[in-house]
Amino acid sequence: MQHLGTGIGWRPEIADAIAELPGVDWVEVVAENICPGHLPDALRELRARGTTVIPHGVSLGLGGADRPDTGRLTALAERATALDAPLVSEHIAFVRAGGPLTASPRMEAGHLLPVPRTRDALDVLCENVRIAQDALPVPLALENIAALINWPGEELTEARFLTELVERTGVRLLIDVANLHTNHVNRGEDPAVALDGLPLEALAYVHVAGGVERDGVWHDSHAHPVTRPVLDVLAALCARTTPPGVLLERDEDFPGYGELAGELDAIRRVRKEACRAEAA
Amino acid sequence: MPKRPEPETGPVAPARGGRAAAAPPGGADPTTDAARQRLALAQTALLSALLAGTPDPEGFDRARLRVQSRALTAKRADVVAKVAPELPGILGPAYREAFLGYARHRPMGGGYRQDAMGFAAYLLDRGRPEDPAARRELRRWRRERARRRPASARPLARLVRALRQALLPG
Repeated sequence: MQHLGTGIGWRPEIADAIAELPGVDWVEVVAENICPGHLPDALRELRARGTTVIPHGVSLGLGGADRPDTGRLTALAERATALDAPLVSEHIAFVRAGGPLTASPRMEAGHLLPVPRTRDALDVLCENVRIAQDALPVPLALENIAALINWPGEELTEARFLTELVERTGVRLLIDVANLHTNHVNRGEDPAVALDGLPLEALAYVHVAGGVERDGVWHDSHAHPVTRPVLDVLAALCARTTPPGVLLERDEDFPGYGELAGELDAIRRVRKEACRAEAA
Repeated sequence: MPKRPEPETGPVAPARGGRAAAAPPGGADPTTDAARQRLALAQTALLSALLAGTPDPEGFDRARLRVQSRALTAKRADVVAKVAPELPGILGPAYREAFLGYARHRPMGGGYRQDAMGFAAYLLDRGRPEDPAARRELRRWRRERARRRPASARPLARLVRALRQALLPG
């Protein structure tokens, strides 16, 4: 798996800070927010400096009931090529429903929603992933999402579901440790158990993000500082494998240079301590 | 060093697009059609409960569905305010409540720009906002937005942009 290092989610609001932050090896950009012919200057400058840029899609909805849309796949492929990206990433989620299969109007969720861990959903997801892989010029990595709700009647654990997905498609995994923490608080799923069952040999990189707990529900807001429990899940992951890359995500209430630098340092410290523990 | 070494003949043998070498060629596989149908019905029932207020599907935690539903609508209101900042500008502090009223039984069918237009139409059809000056401003905004089309839909603009890209160095 390609080594990526420590990175940060590139957003226009923090472009100036990112240009100055030391030791940013790579960035991720929301694929739908850029136009291949009109890359923002700041992103082009990062590319010129040799910083890897990975497009991160949010609208394919590969966990949805329909086959992925050719136009959306082409758009993602074009972004991968324009950015000379070594891989692209998306989510294990559904983002829309309705349409011809259901005789009801099409609805857009505007957000990533969990796929039921059933045989049906896994079969559909595997076929959708294969269709996407055929349309993309580089490997695809898929992210586990943060969920507020549980589907009733699930047939597979998260680990079993992801392991079969990897075995059947060869897709890589993007593990979001904040999402493992979210599923711990909201669905009672122990992150250590989840990590033990994951096919970590398929790990492409890791996401780290902040959130907030309200009334016993964890909101994966990407608008709050990264908390200790999330870093602890990162440490637990690093104790099991060396992730090729770790990326900090922040999408709202953007902090200044100092806070971002501090969060990146905290991530580097966790990785370094894991290495040291392994050497000892 | 990874503590779990990569298996020498593991499932991950990426070719183009990272496909596992053993996977059959992609494209439509009719054997998933029945699974797609069942999944479509389940996901549609959930999404219409979350977005349109239809009855909750069986077996879900109702309180959680409400939390998820509110989170989706709040995010939608935020994104619409971002792509059409004139709307919260015209409506002021009433923006949020008005948007929630609009969104309650109207799932988003297209993109956020279309949603912003739908919201404006919803308000104007109901004679809102009550302040005539604000209503005039909203009508003007809607007219101007309707006239504006995305650049990619205009063949001439697309051609000019393609030429510019082809001619400019780098």
